[in-house]
Amino acid sequence: MIEARDISVAIAGKRIVSHVDFAARPGEVSAIVGPNGSGKTTLLKALTGELAYTGTVTLNGRDLASMKPVEAATLRAVLPQATALSFPFTVREIVRLGLIGGRSGVLPGEDTRLPERALARVDLDGFAGRFYQELSGGEQQRVQLARVLCQVWAPVLEGRPRYLFLDEPVSSLDVKHQLIIMNIARDFARRGGGVVAILHDLNLTAMYADRIFVLSRGQLAAAGAPVDVLNDELIEKVFDCRLKVGALPEGSMPFVLPQSAA
Amino acid sequence: MSEQSIAGAGRAMTAEGDRSARARFVIALLCLALALSVFLSLTSGASDASAVRVIRDSVTGAIPADAALAARDQLIVYDIRMPRALLGVLIGAALAICGAVMQGLFRNPLADPGLIGVSAGSSLGAVAIIVLGTTWLAPVTLAFGTLALPLAAFFGGLAVTLLLYAIATRQGRTSVATMLLAGIAISALAMALTGVLIFMADDRQLRDLTFWQLGSLAGATWPKIGTVGPVIILAQAAMPFLSRGLNALALGEATAGHLGIPVQRLKYAAIVGVSAAVGASVAVSGGIGFVGIVVPHVLRLAIGPDNRYLLPASALLGASLLLLADSVARTIVAPAELPIGIVTAIAGAPFFLWILLRKRGIVDL
Repeated sequence: MIEARDISVAIAGKRIVSHVDFAARPGEVSAIVGPNGSGKTTLLKALTGELAYTGTVTLNGRDLASMKPVEAATLRAVLPQATALSFPFTVREIVRLGLIGGRSGVLPGEDTRLPERALARVDLDGFAGRFYQELSGGEQQRVQLARVLCQVWAPVLEGRPRYLFLDEPVSSLDVKHQLIIMNIARDFARRGGGVVAILHDLNLTAMYADRIFVLSRGQLAAAGAPVDVLNDELIEKVFDCRLKVGALPEGSMPFVLPQSAA
Repeated sequence: MSEQSIAGAGRAMTAEGDRSARARFVIALLCLALALSVFLSLTSGASDASAVRVIRDSVTGAIPADAALAARDQLIVYDIRMPRALLGVLIGAALAICGAVMQGLFRNPLADPGLIGVSAGSSLGAVAIIVLGTTWLAPVTLAFGTLALPLAAFFGGLAVTLLLYAIATRQGRTSVATMLLAGIAISALAMALTGVLIFMADDRQLRDLTFWQLGSLAGATWPKIGTVGPVIILAQAAMPFLSRGLNALALGEATAGHLGIPVQRLKYAAIVGVSAAVGASVAVSGGIGFVGIVVPHVLRLAIGPDNRYLLPASALLGASLLLLADSVARTIVAPAELPIGIVTAIAGAPFFLWILLRKRGIVDL
């Protein structure tokens, strides 16, 4: 379980996130949504220890602030929004960096095959020999996801659940790969791990998230299951535009139909 | 050759995108090249002394026909050429490995201790000791003796590196344009202060300084190697342990941290190691430029940017190239000799421009 209490983050004296409570359970996909500039990435960076914060963050009951980098790296992997490289690494060399901590959770000897398996999962079979810098933005994002998957290949290690933090994992992807990547996230959660993802597409969020955290101007506007959170009133207010929330007839899964701006 | 075609050649040997087998092969070749360079360095020079004969005679215990000539040759080979070759190996390796480490640290292929002012800072420290060692800085020379000059060079380089890092890094991102420009400014300042010291120097100090500023291995003696050798060797021995961390750092500081790398410790270790090795190198041989930028660049084309291979390969190629440059410097205007810094600059500067032209529009400053 990732638990954050009363998290506030200020960057250069300006408060970006204020007094947010957050909890992501193993076995679930937790989505963070909100308009641009609402503090989603800042909150994620606080939860991963990248930015200084006030309040407390615990990973499986242990205080994040007291963890060494290597201990935290055993428990969670982080996919940033975009990663630029200055040296000509091949795709395989990048993915293999996920194995640096040596705690993937596969049997000894199996880890040499892991980059291939991870690349296959993100639909990049045969890309191992390509140069990272020559790939499209969406392909680069999937290479980074393969690297992240290598780091925490087993969602549960020694009885402890592990976590994936994904910052806009699908924003540069076509619709097929959006579904592939979200399926990977859901599968990771179903096998006992936890996923925290920043998402923009509310329909994708409704399809895949077990729990939604809605941020607005650095504060938590709502939190709960998709059916509870995704309603006309809240979404129109937070995103400042007119839209219609409906429900698909065959289930309770809501969908969001934009109408017009403001 | 383009990166793709080299990777293509590597692909035939191992799994796709895995260049480690190729890298190990290149490292083996470089060991051979270094052995050849050392041989060339010992056997060539202004004098006709034969290193092969001298070494054969001392190994077999043969008694030479002309004892006086044999003694001269022994002196030339054991006390001039050998320390010089060893110094060349140490410094060439140090400069190349420091270049590779700085490039990894700044995440940019153009970072180099000479280019961004670390060497200039070291020079300033060393010149201060040479010129002021008997007057204002007398307490320092008294306290540290022969170590005063290498120490001053080390702290000069360290000060510049820390300053650069502080100026160029904001929120974990190092701005390369800021780094290069700040490096130029700091270099200019260090050189101006060095100029003030040179203005204060007497004639004897002046001649020493000029020759030494251009860079030369001419002063190589066994005691000098005894002083700076351990520093350079220690600093270099520590660097390969940084290679995993530097690889992760290629993805950015935050991601390296998420992968479990203690980034802050890594950065300090790299900065202190580079300053120590550059400081010690500058203290004995002056500013020798371009080795640190050319060597890692060529090797990245051949074996890729994986620092686990890049760092040892850089050390080997840097040592070989510096010995070759020194052989040229010693023989091209024999019996006089060129400062080696002139040779490396004449060969290295056009190469550096070529890198810039080739990368135009790709590397974003």
